[in-house]
Amino acid sequence: MVTVTLTVNGETRTAIVGGETTLLRMLRDNLNLTGSKLGCDVGDCGACTVIVDGKPVNSCLMLAAQAEGRDVETIEGLASMDRVHPIQKAFEECASLQCGFCGPGVIMSAKALLDEIPNPTIPQIRDALGGNLCRCTGYVKMIEAILLASRNMRGEAVQSIR
Amino acid sequence: MDKKPKVAEKDSSVESVLKDPGILRESVASPLVTYPIEVVVPKARQQTPAVGQRATRLDGRLHGLGQTSYIDDMTFPGMLYAKIKRAGVASARIKSIDTSEAEAMPGVMAVLTGKDVPNNAFGPSLKDQPVLALERVFHAGDPVVAVAAVSEQIASEACEKIKIDYELFTPVLDPLESLKLETPGVHAPSANIYQKKFIKKGDIEKGFAMSDHIVESQYRTQMVEHVPLEPHATIAMWDANGRVTIYSTLGRITLGRADIASTLGIPISRIRLVATIVGGNFGGKNEITTEPVLALLSKKTGRPVKSVFTRPDEFIASTTRHPLIMDYKTGVTKDGRIQARKIRLVLDGGAYCSWSETTLSKACILSAGPYNIENIYAEAYVVYTNKTMTGAMRGFGAPQVCFAYESHMDEIATLLKMDPLELRLMNVFHEGSISPTGQKLQSVVVKESLLRAAEKFGWKGKGSGTSGGKLLPKDIIDATTVRV
Amino acid sequence: MRAFELFSAKDSRDAVALLAKHSITSKVKVIAGGTDLLADLKFSAHSPNVVVDISRAQELKSILVTDDGLRIGSLVTHSQIMRSPVIQEMFPALVDAAHTIGAVQTRNLGTLGGNLVTAVPSMDSGPTLMALEAIVSIEGTEGRREVPLTDFFLGPRKTVLKADEILAEIIIPKQNLGKPTHFLKFGLRKGQALALVNSAASFWVDWDKHTFVAPRIGLGAVAPKVIRATQAEAFLEGRKITPEVMAEAGLIAATDAKPISDFRASAGYRKNLVAVLTKRALEGAYALAQAKR
Repeated sequence: MVTVTLTVNGETRTAIVGGETTLLRMLRDNLNLTGSKLGCDVGDCGACTVIVDGKPVNSCLMLAAQAEGRDVETIEGLASMDRVHPIQKAFEECASLQCGFCGPGVIMSAKALLDEIPNPTIPQIRDALGGNLCRCTGYVKMIEAILLASRNMRGEAVQSIR
Repeated sequence: MDKKPKVAEKDSSVESVLKDPGILRESVASPLVTYPIEVVVPKARQQTPAVGQRATRLDGRLHGLGQTSYIDDMTFPGMLYAKIKRAGVASARIKSIDTSEAEAMPGVMAVLTGKDVPNNAFGPSLKDQPVLALERVFHAGDPVVAVAAVSEQIASEACEKIKIDYELFTPVLDPLESLKLETPGVHAPSANIYQKKFIKKGDIEKGFAMSDHIVESQYRTQMVEHVPLEPHATIAMWDANGRVTIYSTLGRITLGRADIASTLGIPISRIRLVATIVGGNFGGKNEITTEPVLALLSKKTGRPVKSVFTRPDEFIASTTRHPLIMDYKTGVTKDGRIQARKIRLVLDGGAYCSWSETTLSKACILSAGPYNIENIYAEAYVVYTNKTMTGAMRGFGAPQVCFAYESHMDEIATLLKMDPLELRLMNVFHEGSISPTGQKLQSVVVKESLLRAAEKFGWKGKGSGTSGGKLLPKDIIDATTVRV
Repeated sequence: MRAFELFSAKDSRDAVALLAKHSITSKVKVIAGGTDLLADLKFSAHSPNVVVDISRAQELKSILVTDDGLRIGSLVTHSQIMRSPVIQEMFPALVDAAHTIGAVQTRNLGTLGGNLVTAVPSMDSGPTLMALEAIVSIEGTEGRREVPLTDFFLGPRKTVLKADEILAEIIIPKQNLGKPTHFLKFGLRKGQALALVNSAASFWVDWDKHTFVAPRIGLGAVAPKVIRATQAEAFLEGRKITPEVMAEAGLIAATDAKPISDFRASAGYRKNLVAVLTKRALEGAYALAQAKR
């Protein structure tokens, strides 16, 4: 067993897990953050995407112990009591999600993209979503939502929510 | 405000509390759920009709927040995890099952085989599927043993310790082989052809006689897996009144209740089936899978039991789209009017019937295409093979035959050196057309749609937009008949 | 996934010591980015008892130009390769190759060293490094040893690494710094796709004679390991640079390749791809040479 202490959505969290426990399982089972989903467990579908030290990763391919001391952002950390994140709002307005299962992963990939490139082109958006599979929507409305969110975020000069 | 609040973990040990009593004063927030309480009122549905208005989906907000509770997100106190050991062989007789090592493992709470199932047969139409395979295995995804343990990891390891002795048989893999009477029955003594359908309209021999050209082609489509992002998931638990509550990704819950009632041998009124927000169905979650097994495991252990398919399970143990082998023979006059169409469909029905009857029916009824044809003969068969179960998937047989009859129309157009759009406009249904099964059709706008689409795409005529490929006949039967 | 004991190494020396200690008594695997190892272990029957995590070894994460050449630490991720100004300037082909790997999420975790050590013949980083005559620096209990990349791979998923060794650095020799190189991958999708064929071409240009100098071609997914198209290279050396020569070299490279037929493609189709991709890789390298002139 290993003790893992890390920052999740701005808070220090600790859990005691088996060495083989992935970051995804620790988030879901130990920390009750079930927003990140298990779709394939082998890094193909991207439903488990979280942001670690500013970079989007497949949390199913990272051991929990490898996240020791790191800064992790999950879907649960985007909204606040006052408002949803502009990306979440844009996804809502553009009806970008249907069953919703791929949603958290896609939104985290989108956030990582907009954090780095506030004004992305459509090819850049496609590249950023290349690791997120969706079986329902066909991705078009997600791309629209990301373009909308990027406009809103630049217009409002939004600071990071947390 | 303290930017990084320390959060007390719910399993803080007594030792750590004694060492640092400050923990008791910290907020236990696991998870920190945020509720932007801003009610969104859709702009639609005021005084004017909703059509043409923007409206937000009811579930959109929760999806975006990651707060939608799918079944794998749910836990119940004392919940166990179940894993299913699957056959891994295509066709076999089960000689023996030894679960002793698995049962002895610490953390394993119950192990079930087919003999523990009151009525070990179910299915949406033919009841040919076992809950847990007992004597025979019909495809590699067949569930054979179920294990419930305190963790998923222990349940998996227990499955590896189960020893099953198989007598292997030669599997039937080719549906055309399965069609032959001399091929051994997959579900012997039942025949391999487990359902057929025939549609006869007019007289095709007369129709062919009136044709200037006869075109024959064969088309094949492949097996497709739905790959819903959310794998199949189920949680079962009982109450002291003898009622079982099952949370399931299952789409057809009334049918599910009936199947669960019959397999468990209990009245349907004792079954409460809760269908939740599902992460994609597409037809693949239309029938029960592990629900009866989990109910039995829960009854045996007295605790809630959860089971989630792995992604490999989704491919080998859940239903798929029927592959079809479609033979088309069409007679046309030299100006492109279809006189007769003869069709044979062979559906690869996989290991179990599942939704094959509906698929067969739809495929057969739609096989001639949306065209006015006086003389039609369509015969359709679905056969057993020792492959993954084929069942419902968006379209139920329609997409496969559509590929066939539309490809066929293109090939006819190429042969006649006609514009493929012209060929269709000449033959397509119009208001009041009679379908192959005698239905008088209304609100038919196919012609108008084709013409409008042609305008939008800039279709300029004769072979426009196609690869302009030549018809390369593999066999020329005679001057007027071509097999492609 | 089956349980295993996890040991986190502080640095490469610690990692080697842990491997030396545990590989005597246990089945041991090394984890860096985890994108190959964990994907493999999730549904696998064979599992290790011990996993040594080397992902914290900071000294294996640098990209440096030294007197020996360009030294890339084995823990450099594919994303870091794509963002490195040095690599963008000197070897855009390495940036291209990294970009074809998986998706953003896997590129942020997956390492160059891991890609080489997993040693699948369809690896995307190997061919370009082969064409650049890269050398790998291996760290063991006795210290470092260097092996040319051409000798590093033994077969599918097999390298010369011993149980107590880790891949530490990848070195592109000084004489090849800035050598015009182009890489092309053909997969069944634009992203998250396994290569059907990979081709990388690298050469200097003698501008007086307008001929190929030191042409090198690396091919992937067409043999049990990444290979050099030696016959095609011999054909090109000293020959005049023309489109016809490049096309001819492509055809010869197709004979250097020994692909198999599998459910993704037939051997014949792959050979055809080798010919076309090699020709285009040569054209791409030439365009780069002209631009740099």
